[in-house]
Amino acid sequence: MAEFEQEDGMTRDDLVQRVALMEAMIAEGRQYTGRNAWIFVLWGLVDLTAWAWQNYSPHFGGPWAWPICLTAGVVLTLAGKKIRKSDKGYSSNDVCSRVMGVWGMMGLAMGIYVASAMLTNFSWQYSYVAGLLMMFGMAHAISAMFLHWRMQGLVAAVYWAGGVAIFVCNSWRATNTIMLIEMGVVMVLFGLYAMGREAKGSGCKGERA
Amino acid sequence: MTDMEREDGTTRDELVQRVALMEAMIAEGRQSTARWGWVFVMWGLIYFAAMAWVVFLPFKEWAWPVCIAVGIVVSVVKGRQRRSKGENQRSRSLAAVWQIFSAGITLYVIGAIASGHGTQSAYYAAIMFFIGLAHGTSARILRWGAQGMAAAVWCAGGLAMFFFTTQDEILAIFLIATFFGMILFGLYAMWLERRRAAGMVQAHA
Repeated sequence: MAEFEQEDGMTRDDLVQRVALMEAMIAEGRQYTGRNAWIFVLWGLVDLTAWAWQNYSPHFGGPWAWPICLTAGVVLTLAGKKIRKSDKGYSSNDVCSRVMGVWGMMGLAMGIYVASAMLTNFSWQYSYVAGLLMMFGMAHAISAMFLHWRMQGLVAAVYWAGGVAIFVCNSWRATNTIMLIEMGVVMVLFGLYAMGREAKGSGCKGERA
Repeated sequence: MTDMEREDGTTRDELVQRVALMEAMIAEGRQSTARWGWVFVMWGLIYFAAMAWVVFLPFKEWAWPVCIAVGIVVSVVKGRQRRSKGENQRSRSLAAVWQIFSAGITLYVIGAIASGHGTQSAYYAAIMFFIGLAHGTSARILRWGAQGMAAAVWCAGGLAMFFFTTQDEILAIFLIATFFGMILFGLYAMWLERRRAAGMVQAHA
């Protein structure tokens, strides 16, 4: 039996081929995230807009700020996805579809969570806001793990730290500030970073960052 | 350029190879989940035990910490014994998905309980959504309808937590979700694994 031949009969060439395929998939997965990074920017801006509306114009339909902005965000995301899908060169491999699956599930679960909390007036609870951040952190962490992407792992850690900080600070003012930083600033910054990498094309190389 | 050759130069043979590899990985991933079916059953029973302790026994505040600590110890010890050689990238991904969700839920639960927010409706709902999200992600990766159903049960439970807020209602929702989304799914996965093992024995006989 050759040195690299395993019990299941896999040869060295098979292994090399598999590794190459996986590396290519990871690189494509990062490219895929870069191509869709506009969604992070969009949702960061949606959150910032809703936050600013609620805090600076509370008498101008303040209670409707979040429902209206979130609905607009969903519509814009779906429209944008449709436009991007019709672009040439849009392809997805196994890793892409896993990343897509994670974010798709996260979007669905979060949509139900947010809608039902708002409908039943529980969105003021600290555990609701912390839950949102933890959920975002989980999606980022899984995506980072699939893509071997340290920067996204760092973003996940920041979201989790925010979730825990809400419980530790235990004040509405702190919760508001953490929410603003995490959902607005971190989301937009990561989106811009991923878009920048995609524009540079460095995301295709599959190197750790 | 041939018919089946894409713009990125991928040939038909390469595509067939990729599809075959992915299908093999999905099958192995499901097997891996089925091998770990006992974990779902065990955690379901732990939840039941913790809730029974809270309702019927003294020192209620120790019920969840003790039961969860026991669950973690048993999972780690038995998990090490059962770790198999037939792991592929997909089953490792699944293991990592569950580890990440476990870490996230643990952080969340500790934070909420330590700060006194462990009785809010949104807290219970978030936990159920986290478990639903883990099942949903795993189901999406494995293209497995049964696990998708388990995810739907947990998310429906999370949704219900916002509408039914008394202690009895919360307990009932959690028990139902645990039974259908954890114990029943775990038993189904264990049955699948047993059937596969029996099939292998017959094939070798």
